[in-house]
Amino acid sequence: MLAFLQRFLAGPPTSSQNAKQRLKLLLIHDQVDLSQAQLDMMRDEILDVINRYMDIDQSGVEFRLNRSEGQVALISSVPVRRVTARAS
Amino acid sequence: MSECIVITSGKGGVGKTTTCANIGAGLALSGRRTVVVDADIGLRNLDVVMGLENRIVYDLVHAIEGECKLTQALIRDKRVEGLYLLPAAQTRDKNAVKPEDMKKLVASLKEDFDYVLIDCPAGIEQGFRNSIAGADRALLVTTPEVSAIRDADRIIGLLEAHEIPEPKLIINRYRPGMVQRGDMMNKEDILEILAIDLIGLIPDHEDVIISANRGLPAVFDPRSEVGRAFMRITGRVQGHQLPFPSMEEDTTFWGTFKRWMGLAPLREVV
Repeated sequence: MLAFLQRFLAGPPTSSQNAKQRLKLLLIHDQVDLSQAQLDMMRDEILDVINRYMDIDQSGVEFRLNRSEGQVALISSVPVRRVTARAS
Repeated sequence: MSECIVITSGKGGVGKTTTCANIGAGLALSGRRTVVVDADIGLRNLDVVMGLENRIVYDLVHAIEGECKLTQALIRDKRVEGLYLLPAAQTRDKNAVKPEDMKKLVASLKEDFDYVLIDCPAGIEQGFRNSIAGADRALLVTTPEVSAIRDADRIIGLLEAHEIPEPKLIINRYRPGMVQRGDMMNKEDILEILAIDLIGLIPDHEDVIISANRGLPAVFDPRSEVGRAFMRITGRVQGHQLPFPSMEEDTTFWGTFKRWMGLAPLREVV
């Protein structure tokens, strides 16, 4: 809610903010040579595996590549509703 | 000790040749013997930007292939002491020259000059490999656009792979008014993304086109704001610590009026 309010008050992003965001993503994908579409496929496969063991909140899933100081990291946050412990 | 500096960008049309002409002339103006080398074989332009196109007899390929002595191919710029141009061949293919040839060429130029500046062609193929072959360090030119910065990032990687350490960034065609309105990436954004040091910030100004029309690099005009920005780069290239003047647009009534009259396009605060 707070985030929404902040966004509402700040107005739409400026074109330079658009440029910066696009550029950041572009450089990450250039570096790892993996497109957004491929990344989405990987996310779905990983979530399928997690889903076998846990009940997760799909809408709250965060899954993105991040770059700092030339190093790319995969950052993911998966909200868990409950662990569905299953005997294997 | 002499040094070879390559001026490169990846993307074409961002101002490499203008930058090379101005820094070359600037170094000569500060008393350093300087040669600017046009490495864009087949598409030479540095001669035109410097206004020396009518005096070419021999070129870089002639010198490399031994058809003339290296000194015969050098064109002396009569406007300033110690400034020379080695033009590219216009009717040859870029594969006429190999990185090994460039290394030897740069080595012999370094015996005679304090600075050897290489104007690198756009792209990352043979012309780029030739240009960086003899270079001790690199200046990277970009503009505040997504495409140019993307290519600059690629070049940073390639320079690293060729063991040319820590390229320095020149941001060209900077428009402070657009930055203030949020319609152009600011220099901090660009430096954060590329993670390299800034060595120059060149405002977008009509002077550049006028000086190219006349074949007279902007550094020769002490009133030119672009010329002064290039002179500061020249100082930094020689290791001087110089401040980056703020380029905020003067939005007061007088500022707007003066800009209207073409008197003060940008305010410089040192």
